Amino acid sequence: MSVGLLTTTVGSFPKPGYLQQARNQYAAGRLSREELAELERRATREVIALQEELGIDIIVHGEMERGDMVAYFAEQLEGMELGGLVRSYGNRYYHKPVITGALRWTEPMTVEMWRFAQGLTQKPVKGILTGPYTMVEWSFDEHYDSRREAVLAMAGVIRREAQELAKAGARFVQVDEPAASTRPEDMGLVSEALGIVTDGLGAKTITHICYGDFTPVFDQIANLPVDQLDMEMANSGYDFLGLIRQHKDGFHKELAMGVMDVHTHTTETVDQVKAGIKRALEVLPPARLYIDPDCGLKTRTWEEAAGKLRVMMQAVREVKQELGIG
Amino acid sequence: MLTTVVGNYPKIPNRPRPARLRNAINRFDRGEIGAEELRAVEDEVTREVIDEQVDAGLDLITDGQVRWEDEQTYFARRLSGVSIDGLIRFFDSNTYYREPVVQGPVTWTEPATVADYRFAVEHSPRPVKAVLPGPYTLARLSRDEHYASLEGCAMAYAEALNHEARALQAAGAPVVQLNEPAILKHKADLPLFQRAIVRALEGVSAQRALYLYFGDVYGLYPQLLDLPIDVLGLDFVAGARNFDVLKLAPFSKTLGLGLVDARNTRMESVEQIVEGLRRAREIAPLERVHLSPNCGLEFLPREAAQAKLARMVESASKAQEVLA
Repeated sequence: MSVGLLTTTVGSFPKPGYLQQARNQYAAGRLSREELAELERRATREVIALQEELGIDIIVHGEMERGDMVAYFAEQLEGMELGGLVRSYGNRYYHKPVITGALRWTEPMTVEMWRFAQGLTQKPVKGILTGPYTMVEWSFDEHYDSRREAVLAMAGVIRREAQELAKAGARFVQVDEPAASTRPEDMGLVSEALGIVTDGLGAKTITHICYGDFTPVFDQIANLPVDQLDMEMANSGYDFLGLIRQHKDGFHKELAMGVMDVHTHTTETVDQVKAGIKRALEVLPPARLYIDPDCGLKTRTWEEAAGKLRVMMQAVREVKQELGIG
Repeated sequence: MLTTVVGNYPKIPNRPRPARLRNAINRFDRGEIGAEELRAVEDEVTREVIDEQVDAGLDLITDGQVRWEDEQTYFARRLSGVSIDGLIRFFDSNTYYREPVVQGPVTWTEPATVADYRFAVEHSPRPVKAVLPGPYTLARLSRDEHYASLEGCAMAYAEALNHEARALQAAGAPVVQLNEPAILKHKADLPLFQRAIVRALEGVSAQRALYLYFGDVYGLYPQLLDLPIDVLGLDFVAGARNFDVLKLAPFSKTLGLGLVDARNTRMESVEQIVEGLRRAREIAPLERVHLSPNCGLEFLPREAAQAKLARMVESASKAQEVLA
């Protein structure tokens, strides 16, 4: 019997109502940092318990302490700060970070929460970082002379944090690069920067990339310097599988495949998810195929997120049973 | 030389100034205020951004597109045959627009922006230009379920835009501008692009401006000079190569010189902008230059946009002195 089809999630979970409220109170100065941190730990316990209950194999801590995935690091790094409000769409605004000086790592930003989460479960908890390209791409830059210079400087900083996670015992370190699909022509720079972060890290490395037109840059994606590619796929009709099929001898990594669209309120059926998994098994052996949702779950409600994960786990169990995968 | 902008302007200021429009939209969405009250806040904010552009010293302003959700939706949703769907990333930016879906014949039934235009003129001491999304970009960013061809879709939008452009002209707009970033990403579509622009601007006797941003016009120039337009606005930040491309043939239009980076908060120095104008003078004399940011200002926080406009105007006067 072959093994494989391990399950995981991309990173973020919905913040429970009490935590949302507490974050607002903290922002308004009506709650202390320590009071907020206590509620973040409470929510993290709930996130871990949910994943345990569902039987997910590789756990995430849920990012209860993070608002925006770039701003969280920007607030802590030397050389970065939060800037003014910029509109993202509709009536949604965010404080866009600004690189104001030479980037420098000063202290661990993610290790304490990772340790806390890993202390709650026997299963491995992923260390999750925002990648250098995305950090720069989603910020203003008032310091460096080119995007390349800024991205490579950021890579040094993120590498240091990745090393801290590995040193603390993280067996999986995930470096998210959702912005990598913005400009496929920059994939070489994405790859060079990721290589700086992952080189000789001593943990299994993963990068999460959102959907884009990867046809012209497939070789570069297939050779990104990580062990596992985590791709948003359900919301693009599993297009990426077609590329893998075309380049069968050119894809040797593990693939974590998104099977649940995280931007819809409706939940896929077990049969839909099973069909997606079976399509992937036509091009990859189960040992190299991981199953997860498309993207972070933070934009869903707690119930929607749990509902989607339940369907995903049911589909994986049925496929394993039908195909005799242990 | 004139100083101007390309289109939109940040809708809300930062603290301690209140985010009036954001709050009003939230209250409207919760049903706490009606459409009339929301409209009143939009009016107020439009006057505010007109004042900011005038205070910065601009010669030619826009209404800031304060009422616009994004660069396409506001116009597209007012056409019959078009509905509006989910969020899609806007080019290589970290902002999103709602996808127009063409479900039937695209038909212009009434002016979409004329009342806004009249309002802006009434409250501006400076001339106001009317800015619309171009037919090609509208078609490229739409999901076409009706025409089954990009050309069919683009020409239908061009027809609708022609009605709107004429209505704006009748309302007194001295300049009617089309924004067409998409053509820079699909240069092979130039023939179709040309047909669509010709159709959209047919019979328009106001000054006709075409602004292309997020890249350079290599491969499109000098053919763009054949278009029936008076002002060709280009991006000299993301498309710095335009300085060289435009030397391939004598430039016969007024040059929209997008020199100030509207996508980064780093402030240009007066010297940098004057240097850009000096280089631009090799393409067109300063009397035929409309100096502006490289694209709409909404990628910036409000205060950064305002500061950049003031710096741009200061640089324009400096250039008149030192380059005269």
